[in-house]
This record gives sequence, structure tokens and C-alpha cells, in this order.
Amino acid sequence: MGDITMGADAVRRIVIVGGGTAGWIVAGVLASRYPRRGEEGVAITLVESRQQPPIGVGEGTWPTIRATLKQIGISETDFLRECEASFKQGSRFAGWVDGSDSDEYWHPFTLPAGYIERNPAPHWLEGPRERSFADSVCFQSELCARGLAPKQITTPEYSGLANYAYHLDAGKFVPFLQKHCVDKLGVSHVYDEIARVESDATGHISHLVTRSGAALAGDLFIDCSGFASLLIGKHFEVPFVSQRDVLFVDKAWAVQVPYPDETSPIASTTLSTARSSGWVWDIGLMSRRGVGYVYSSEHTSDEGALAELQSYLAERDAQCAQLSFRNIKINSGYRRQYWTHNCVAVGLSAGFLEPLEASAIVMIELSAKSIANLLPSSKTALQRAARLFNETFRYRWERIVDFLKLHYVLSRRTDSPFWIDNRRSESIPESLRESLEYWRYHSPWHDDFLQREEVFSAASYQYILHGMGFETQRAHWLANDGERALVLQSMSEAARQAQALAAVLPTNRDLLTRVRRYGLQKI
Amino acid sequence: MVNLVALDSRSHRNLRVSRHTSREAAEVNVVSVIPREFQRLVAHYPIFFTKSTESGRFEPAALLGFRQKENLYFVDGRWDVAYVPLQMQRQPFALIPRRGDVAAGGPVHNSLDVAIDMSSAQVQTDEGERLFLEDGAPTRYLQSISSILSTLVSGSTEAYAFTGKLAELNLLEPVGVNIEFVDHSEAKLQGLYWIASAALKALPAAQLAELRDREFLEWMYFQMASVAHMSSLVARKNKLLTDG
Repeated sequence: MGDITMGADAVRRIVIVGGGTAGWIVAGVLASRYPRRGEEGVAITLVESRQQPPIGVGEGTWPTIRATLKQIGISETDFLRECEASFKQGSRFAGWVDGSDSDEYWHPFTLPAGYIERNPAPHWLEGPRERSFADSVCFQSELCARGLAPKQITTPEYSGLANYAYHLDAGKFVPFLQKHCVDKLGVSHVYDEIARVESDATGHISHLVTRSGAALAGDLFIDCSGFASLLIGKHFEVPFVSQRDVLFVDKAWAVQVPYPDETSPIASTTLSTARSSGWVWDIGLMSRRGVGYVYSSEHTSDEGALAELQSYLAERDAQCAQLSFRNIKINSGYRRQYWTHNCVAVGLSAGFLEPLEASAIVMIELSAKSIANLLPSSKTALQRAARLFNETFRYRWERIVDFLKLHYVLSRRTDSPFWIDNRRSESIPESLRESLEYWRYHSPWHDDFLQREEVFSAASYQYILHGMGFETQRAHWLANDGERALVLQSMSEAARQAQALAAVLPTNRDLLTRVRRYGLQKI
Repeated sequence: MVNLVALDSRSHRNLRVSRHTSREAAEVNVVSVIPREFQRLVAHYPIFFTKSTESGRFEPAALLGFRQKENLYFVDGRWDVAYVPLQMQRQPFALIPRRGDVAAGGPVHNSLDVAIDMSSAQVQTDEGERLFLEDGAPTRYLQSISSILSTLVSGSTEAYAFTGKLAELNLLEPVGVNIEFVDHSEAKLQGLYWIASAALKALPAAQLAELRDREFLEWMYFQMASVAHMSSLVARKNKLLTDG
């Protein structure tokens, strides 16, 4: 084979457009995977305009973020200290099933005990159900209910006694990543605006012309320009596939709420509370809470939504008078393609779905990893990479839509048109309808999903389905006594672990405070 | 229950304290040590690093046994070794923040008082060492205790500077200890760390020079050499098992 490194087709220069969470995660993942070696290696340039206001609200992540940050070469201690970050162990859903006072269930990050080998759901369904599904099969909901951290101060960086991710302040995360990528990984950073996109005869982007007149030549262009969608949308005109008819929420009121004092507990789950026309997110960061109400503007007015959010805060003793509320538009949907020619979109330019289950950052991580994994050495091979990427991510976006919609479809709330409309069959994707029909006679498990790396695994589906009271038909003729004994054993193991861990874990606030003071060890 | 009381030359004028470490204090299998005593420890004890449960930071510690409360150097109520770690020598005394200073912003080094644990079995009234002379001046025994206590305070600062540097340079690694004794019983120790000798060999000259200049290099070699005492510790245990 010939050496094409010096050839015109070599993929050596990567230009990232946009410096938000997406841009810097992609820069970090690519630059750490393909380190710069002087004039050799891959050259990565990130260009952003200074005018771009950050979207930053308190954001939730998935446990994948730990591997991503570690790969980029970031110390967990630095990250926790500088990004207002706190530990997140899953989600708690309140009021989603019927809106009653006791209506609450957990979606923890840790898999059910023994889950890799055996499916616990049929056995839990058959049993007395004295405890909720999550409490029965997993030790983590107990830890979350007690406000405990997922690890100890002696646990090394990025390791946990329970699976965990973070809540973080995106407004601080972005400059933190930027500094690391530029100082440590050699990413070139340019502040400029894109004035024009220049293509070659085959339609590939050859270079970007900036407002200041500079030409940014590249072999692969990554569109991280946010909702502006400068390359994939404006230049390539790849259509946007709206999901508004499935996911109704399209607006949000967001607010930052201080803690009553420096010892107030910091929740280590995202609390998601259903309201008349949407739901309220409540995220505990290190020094404040990020709270917001995502709602459907077809079902309530901005004023009505604001009043609902204020009453949510008042119920929790927050002083609303001093708070400033910000309105955000949400346009749920994704591009028909994410990668075309030598341009691939990551982040909001590729798509965005409402913030339920925090899929935004995990999709950025998966995209960055996938680009790093698929990156060919020659432009002539980009088409195949694009096809693989598009197929994979089309599947992922669709699965996320299904998974989010599942939360609404399983609700039995009848108190407002929003919840009733959400169960109209024409608003439910065919794929979800098919799955739900199947799951009436079969409990979801590994083989129900096609990808090696599903955004939401079968375990997540089980936590939601059984947390919300979905019934899978019990079939005694499919029961296996040996398996049942092992599942029951795993369940008592989970209960034992909950007690053992509760005895040794500090509270979330206590650990975060100690990390600020002493740091975590790398080993 | 520990009952720490600040020493007072009047109320403690006739108090006597035994120099022999009480069983209660001595029966631990790990004792925190400071780098300044490595040179003497290395003659008898294996030294490792453990993580503080309070801060997660590494601390040097001497290993005394294989099970909780097993101190193989403490035989029939006496230390069976020529050098006793300072942390044991200082028993039953400790430093506490001077009264009134706590509210004023917490303890600082120069406002600590020597206190005694009145619940310790070492505190007696008829035999043992006196703390004060008739005129209320401290005895040589109490002076030596005060000096040990302040050595431990400065030693702890030095220890954290030392282990902090080792962690920063990735010169520590976890070590798993699996031992089988003569009676075929086994011991597995976790949470111990030692110097990563491969990383030390690969260390750039400038960093090595810094370690040397700060005496850290010397301390590292003491630690590495001390591990040889694992075999004497095992021998002590085996002797105990054989003698019944």
C-alpha cells in the first residue's frame, strides 16, 4: 500500500466550528486519541465567535462522562472543584404516574444485581412486590434516598462504590475544557466568525473564510455551532426532523436557586417532578441548585408556567422574589443526516431533545468517540464513515425519543390535557408502540436492543417500566426455578449491599466538601 | 471513651503515668508514623502508606499485624522491640486546641495544650512517672512527651508534603499482600501502598534532584528497605501460631 500521508487526500487537519460543550468535548477526545507530535500528527483547530452566548444551565450527565474526562486527561479533582460539579447517581421521578403524594420512583445508574447473567424483572413481577422494583433489585436507590455519595474520600479518582455521573455547571465546564485542550493537548483556538464556506468540485468543504479574512483549511469539519447549525444546516441544508408531535415540551423557565445554608444537603439524583404541562428539573450543584420547568406552550402560557415553577419553589421554601427567571426555547428533533461529505455535526447542530434523562452530553460524548473510532486516513474513505455514523446515530436519536416518550406514555395522569394528549396513539412512535406491545408478554433484556452501546440499556427501560407500574404478563410455564433462586439471592445481596454501603458512605455534601479541601487520589 | 483533659500543674501535681503502653492503645495492626523516625523504624518494622479516612491523603504507617487489633510487636503487655513508634510513645497524651481558641477560628500550632486521656489504663496515682515537680515545673518525662507531641505535629506536615509529592509524581502504587501462615490460615491485606520502583527508575533527573534535595529520596529508600521486615512479621505470627 502506498503512503498517503503527504497526499492531497490525507485527513490530517480537523476544524471544529463552535466552542460550546460539544466543540470542546470533541476537541478533547480527538486530541487525546490522536496526540499532536510537532508538525506530525493530526492538527486540530477550534474556531468560535465571541458573541455566542452560552446556553449553560445546570446539566446532568451519564456515567460515560467519567471515561470521557479520564481519556481527555482531566483530573477528577480539578473537574469537581472548577465546574461546580456534584455526584449524580440517577434520577428520581415524582408525580409522573398518577400525581398522588406517594407517587415516586427511582432510575439508578447501577444495573440490577446479577443483571448481566439473569433478568430479575419476571421474578420481581411474580413476587409479593413489597418493595419497589428499583429497591428490590439495586442497592443504589437506598443510598440516593439517604443523600449519600457514591464513593468515599479514599476511593480513587473516577472509581465508585456505586455507579455515578455528575451534575455540572456548563458555564464553567466549557472554559475548563477549553483551557485543558489548548494548554495540554495542543488544540489551536481561534476567535473569529465564519463569513463564508468554500467547497471543492466534489462538494467537500475546502476551507472556511472568517470575518477577519483568514482562510481555515481543513480535511474534516466538525459542526458544533449549536442551534445556528452553520455547516450541516445552513451550508449543506440537511433537513431537520422535528419531534414536536412526539415530545410536546418546547419551552422552559430556568432559574438558579441558592441553598438555604452551607450545610444543606446536595441531592445526588436529578429530581424530576411532573406538573400540569410538563415537568420540573431540580439539579443540585455544589453551591446552588439549577431548577427549571419544561412545558408545552400548546398546553399552557408562559405566565402560567412561570407561576407553576414559582409554586414549586415556594413549596420548597425558596425565596422567589430575588430570583431571575430565564426563558429558553426547545426545538426537539434531529437532522436527517449528521455526517455528509467531510462535515459531521455534533451537539445541538445535530439535534436536541428535551432534557428529560439528560441525553445531550452523552450524545456529544458518543459522537466524539465514534468520530475518533471511524476516522479514516484518506478523504476517499469518508463516505463509508459517514454512512456508518449516520446509521448509528439515527438509531440512537430514535431510541432516545422512544425512551423519553415512554415516561409520558406510561403515565396515568388525567388532570390536564398535556398528559392525556401524550397518550394519544398518533403521538407515539411506531417503534415504541411495537416494543410496548411486545413487553406485555416479555420482559425487556439484552437481546431487545441492537447496538453494542445503547444510550439507554434494557435496565433503564426496566427501571422506568416497572417503576411506573407497567405489567408484563406472568407466565408460569416459562419460569425456571433454578434461575429464580439465583435472582432472589441477588436481590438479598442488593439489600445487604445497601446496608453495608450506607454504613460507610459519607453524605454527598460531606464528600464534595472534602474533595474541595483535600482532593481525590489518582490511585 | 477517651476523656482528654488539658494538663494543669496544680490539679495534676501528683498524677503518675506508666511508661508502658496500655493494651488498649497498643492493640492495633497499623500505626501512623512520620518520616523523621523512618531511620529507626527501618530496623524493625515494614513501613507502607495508607490513606487517611478523613482526607484520603497518603500517610506513612508501620504494619504491626495481619488482623485488626493484632500487634505482633506487643508481647505479654510489653513492646518486644528496641524502638517504639512515636505515636505509641506519646500515649496517653495528645495535643488539644487551647480553650477559648476554638471559637476564635480553630486550632493553630502555637495554641495547643498538652492533654491527657484520663480514661487510659496508663494513668495511675501510686506508681509510674510524675508529670510535675513539687514546685509545679514539668518533669523530664513530661518535657520528653511535649517534645514528642510537637515532633509529631511537624512530622505530620512533613509527611503530607512527602506523600503529596509522591502521589503527584505517580511514585506510589497499591500493593496486595497475600500470606499463608504455618497453620495454612491466610491473610489478605488491602489499602496498602508503596513506592513504585519502576516509576522511580524512570523519573527524570530534575525531579529526582528535587526529591534528593528535600530528603524525600532518603525516606523513599528507607520505606523500600523496610518491606524486608514483612518476613520477620510473618515469623512472629508463625511463632505465635506454633507456640500456641
